[in-house]
Amino acid sequence: MALRLMLASSRIASHLRISVSHRAFSSVVLKDLKYADSHEWVKIEGNKATVGITDHAQEHLGDVVYVKLPDVGRSVSQGESFGAVESVKATSDINSPISGKVLQVNKDLSESPALVNSSPYEEGWIMKVELSDAGEVKKLMDSDKYSKFCEEEDSKH
Amino acid sequence: MRSPRILEVWRLGTVNYLKFLKIQDKLVSERKAHQIPDTLLSLEHPPTYTLGKRRTDHNLLIPQSQLTKIGAELHYTQRGGDITFHGPHQAILYPIISLRSIGFGARNYVETLERSMIEFASMYGVKARPGNKCETGVWVGDRKIGAIGVRISSGITCHGLAFNIDPDLNYFEHIVPCGIADKEVTSLRRETDALLPSEEVIHKQLITCLAKAFSYDDVLWKEDPSVILDTQR
Repeated sequence: MALRLMLASSRIASHLRISVSHRAFSSVVLKDLKYADSHEWVKIEGNKATVGITDHAQEHLGDVVYVKLPDVGRSVSQGESFGAVESVKATSDINSPISGKVLQVNKDLSESPALVNSSPYEEGWIMKVELSDAGEVKKLMDSDKYSKFCEEEDSKH
Repeated sequence: MRSPRILEVWRLGTVNYLKFLKIQDKLVSERKAHQIPDTLLSLEHPPTYTLGKRRTDHNLLIPQSQLTKIGAELHYTQRGGDITFHGPHQAILYPIISLRSIGFGARNYVETLERSMIEFASMYGVKARPGNKCETGVWVGDRKIGAIGVRISSGITCHGLAFNIDPDLNYFEHIVPCGIADKEVTSLRRETDALLPSEEVIHKQLITCLAKAFSYDDVLWKEDPSVILDTQR
């Protein structure tokens, strides 16, 4: 099972130009995204951003059974909670990696919260935000830094 | 050499649920601000039903107006999980700890809480097991003996676990416990023939199992609960 995942992730890796180290249980990190230390990712396109949680986050959460989405139109602030996911009887707050106004939320997650597990960077996206401060992105990690951050966290236990 | 990991434990006796929520909020803020170390509350509640963030109140089988008749309260919370009952002779542990300092996510945390209860049950010869998928908690066969419902905010935990020592199991008849129909609820009293020591001893044993499961180097037993119970400070 692990070997099949490794080979699959290598194929996906070369297709998406991502780095995947073949340690057991290493998670997928995409090169063109930015990352918060609370394991949320953000994709910046002009002054719009798409936000979700990372592969590392969904692995460490377990099967997601519920996603509390923010209301469209509300403002979000970098580092502050904007919603929650529930898995294994745990409600985990999710924090916004950027500040701005919520333009759209992924309604598919109400019916299919498990998309967060199966497709954390694509179909499991959580919200789209209009940025209020593009400069904030500098405070986030790039993919290399985030990969190292995850390795350090995982080595704590 | 890393600094030792200490767990501060407050044993609070019976605490009304709303009062506990105030205490918890204060401690979570203090833990987030690094003003206190990892902290554990050990207590019991008077008869109380609680719901999780998903507000699954369809799993309360009696009208809310009947609750005072059976001497119980109902509270809505932000924790994960479904409806549950807390009452006398049920040991409750509320860890307010930093998961980031041990690199734990929700899954590792909950699995370690399960292991704590399983280890504790084994002290009385009770073979408990973790729940199957979607059945988080601790089971003896198909009977649930320990429940979990937690919240994690900025890597700090709150709410926790409840282990049935010898509660009045009739209270569970009024709910679909944890949203799982057709499964019984049980207690340590029911599952073991061993002589049970005083509840103070039992709570201490459960706490020690948890401290061991989370690899704490030391447990600091705080002796004066009035310090924490006085939420006016």
